[in-house]
Amino acid sequence: MPVPGRLDRYIETEKQRHFSRDFMIGWEAYETWDEATVGQSGPGQRTFEITEEDILHYNRACGETDPLMVDPAFARKHSPTGELLQHPIFVTTIAFYSLGEKGIGTWIRTPGARNPQQRIEISEPFRYGEIISTTVTTADKFTQRGKPYLQMLLDFRNERGVLKARWWCSLILPATRADVARFANA
Amino acid sequence: MPITFEEIQTGHSLPPVVQSYAQPAIDHYALASLDMNPVHTNEEWAARAKVFGIPETVGHGMMTMSTLASVVTRAWGVIGKDGGSIRFVDAKFTKPVKAGETVTATGKIKQKHYHGPGKNWVQVAVEARDSAGDLIGLAEVGYNLPD
Repeated sequence: MPVPGRLDRYIETEKQRHFSRDFMIGWEAYETWDEATVGQSGPGQRTFEITEEDILHYNRACGETDPLMVDPAFARKHSPTGELLQHPIFVTTIAFYSLGEKGIGTWIRTPGARNPQQRIEISEPFRYGEIISTTVTTADKFTQRGKPYLQMLLDFRNERGVLKARWWCSLILPATRADVARFANA
Repeated sequence: MPITFEEIQTGHSLPPVVQSYAQPAIDHYALASLDMNPVHTNEEWAARAKVFGIPETVGHGMMTMSTLASVVTRAWGVIGKDGGSIRFVDAKFTKPVKAGETVTATGKIKQKHYHGPGKNWVQVAVEARDSAGDLIGLAEVGYNLPD
């Protein structure tokens, strides 16, 4: 599926330059609601190195103007960490980068998915240079008012195993691959 | 102005956050979050797929969650000058935000949690509405306040 070319104007970070902007490529391999098994757990496909530009771009996209969040030079002098402070929902970027296109939790990329609720817990700030590993666990699978819900728990740990954040990620999904195909081929 | 756990009262309001959900703002968020689902960025596909029953692109739920959380972090800081910090954000989404909308989010202190010196925290109830005044999302945000 063609990705609107206008998106290119927002590319600023190294990760964005190499990240596929077409979520329809490989949708046939995304995990689906009917295939998911509660309790199944594993690592994300990629680790995520925390960089200043990743944090800066996310903060700007949220409309932040606090210099502690969008002015690296100011943050170096005045931030409690000596670094840009990240928006608490920044883990979204880590998750989409880390989960990849195959395996547990790839349903986060599903065309036709709807977002009902999310919970994110912050243990401590991410720091530049940390290598974040994501562990994905299928936490719940249920129906409510006839709609299929999936929930996964994402644990984000640095290279020393320190838990930095947790995300209980829930989506309402097309239930089967045939249902996903209807959206993918729309 | 510094705020302490002792000073803060339930019912205290935080300044509102107003955020554009114009298509360029949604596109920007798509790149920043790496969530390139076409329901957010591809108008032609969105018109055919009608994921939410409407033929338009919509903002990311995580963008709404970010706006909700910003009510608290803009008031007190991601890490406050006196040691405050965010604990959690628990959000629900009640209506898709169509491209072109403007969202206004507001928050009030709902609960004070007495966990002892250095461990006390508050729970802030935040809600966001679109330009029609319809509720589009709400969140409970936990924040550690200095004593």
